[in-house]
Amino acid sequence: MEFEFRFDIVWNNLPLLLEGVQTTILLSLLTMVLGTIIGLFVAIVRLRVRKIFALPLVVYVEVFRGTPGLIQIVWIYYCLPILTGLQLDALTSLVIAMALNVGSYLSEVFRAGIQGVSKGHIEAAAAVGFKPGQIIRRVIVPQAAYRMIPAIGNVFVSAIKLSSLCSVLGMAELMYQGQIIIANFFRPIEVFTVVAVIYLIMAYTTSLFMMYLEWKFAWIRRKKVPFWQKFKQISKTSFQIKPQGNL
Amino acid sequence: MTSAVKIKNLHKSFGSLKVLRGIDLDVAQGEVVCILGASGSGKSTLLRCINQLSIPDEGTVYINGDPIGNLLSETGELKKANQTTLASQRSRIGYVFQQFNLWPHRTVLGNVIEALKIVKKMNNADAEKIAIDRITEVGLLDWKDEYPDTLSGGQQQRVAIARMLAMEPEVMLFDEPTSALDPERVGEVIEVMKELAEKGHTMIIATHELNFGRDTADRAIFIDEGVIVEQASAQEFFSHPKSERLQSFLKRMSM
Repeated sequence: MEFEFRFDIVWNNLPLLLEGVQTTILLSLLTMVLGTIIGLFVAIVRLRVRKIFALPLVVYVEVFRGTPGLIQIVWIYYCLPILTGLQLDALTSLVIAMALNVGSYLSEVFRAGIQGVSKGHIEAAAAVGFKPGQIIRRVIVPQAAYRMIPAIGNVFVSAIKLSSLCSVLGMAELMYQGQIIIANFFRPIEVFTVVAVIYLIMAYTTSLFMMYLEWKFAWIRRKKVPFWQKFKQISKTSFQIKPQGNL
Repeated sequence: MTSAVKIKNLHKSFGSLKVLRGIDLDVAQGEVVCILGASGSGKSTLLRCINQLSIPDEGTVYINGDPIGNLLSETGELKKANQTTLASQRSRIGYVFQQFNLWPHRTVLGNVIEALKIVKKMNNADAEKIAIDRITEVGLLDWKDEYPDTLSGGQQQRVAIARMLAMEPEVMLFDEPTSALDPERVGEVIEVMKELAEKGHTMIIATHELNFGRDTADRAIFIDEGVIVEQASAQEFFSHPKSERLQSFLKRMSM
């Protein structure tokens, strides 16, 4: 017996999936924003305070990087109200859980990016009379931000996929809607294929946006080329930014 | 007349390693002082302590009478200066690094303009005028829109010198400015520094270039194990070294 693909079932239920897409986008964006704030906070505190005081943050980062996202989400959804008596709605608690997960990864990205700025460049700024705040704004941020963009992009793309775990708790996002359709029509292959393609589109849009940021903040811009040309270059040479100097 | 630089009893340790063990030094206005010494003798640390990139454990540095990193209270006591004061004090001291340390995210012009705009609060036009003059002075006007990583080491160091000159520092510190360069690039940087010396700038230079020291410096200082072992006029220093340690050092260096 030959298998017959029935994509028409997916098309007929497309509005349902698109509703899910909206929720997925909302979940992902909130997670990215909150995660970035958490990550920045953790990275800066870890760089500024003594190791012993940063210990709780180290524990936080290791716990959230080292345990499955699903368990984190379930745990915060069910256990946080029990432990703290705090009653949160589903969206809030899910976003908090995912932001904590994303924040733990981002804090390491930020920390590495900030530490990666050459001590010499910082000293050169101090030597001409920059104040600490000016050093941060004029020397550390421009260099660190540019170098961190690809790594941040990775974490953001993972965040979109992480949001699919919220389906377990009945959040009507893309994965959940897909599973509803599957439960009704018993067509997992077709539905999952389309759901995967939709995730891919969202992920790739995020990647493109990060490439745009990289182009926008590139400090090595010999010739000002339009973004689409630069995009061709970036995709060809990946992230090879070392120029051909005559050192 | 107050000395351009006055260093009093400077001590600095890193952990149990005593790098500077009581340095006293007076540098007159317009004097060019050359510091020699083996690697690890404390030359760089001394320069870094002058503009407080390394904070000395003990001792004080005065630039034209002002204690750097400190404030003189009305009762004549020294109080530790805050970051803002320290920053403005540092802007009076030029510093050229062994590794150039140009900011990679700015062009040559951008590197030179930056401090004029941020520290001296100049507007773009004024800052650019000064920057262009200084870049011309080190002979790199054609490269003003390039990014540092497209320049050779010698060119980068000349930009670093232009960046320092733009701030019109009262004292210029050079921390082995030619040590990271290819041998054939050393000359162009030495040339720029000689011109600065002739213009009467006050300069303290840690270097391994004996010829440069002999030709350009007014005075040479030999540091070993964190103390000044010998100092004399450059002529005297190189032709008639007195201490045994300096004699053997000069012998090794000229081999």
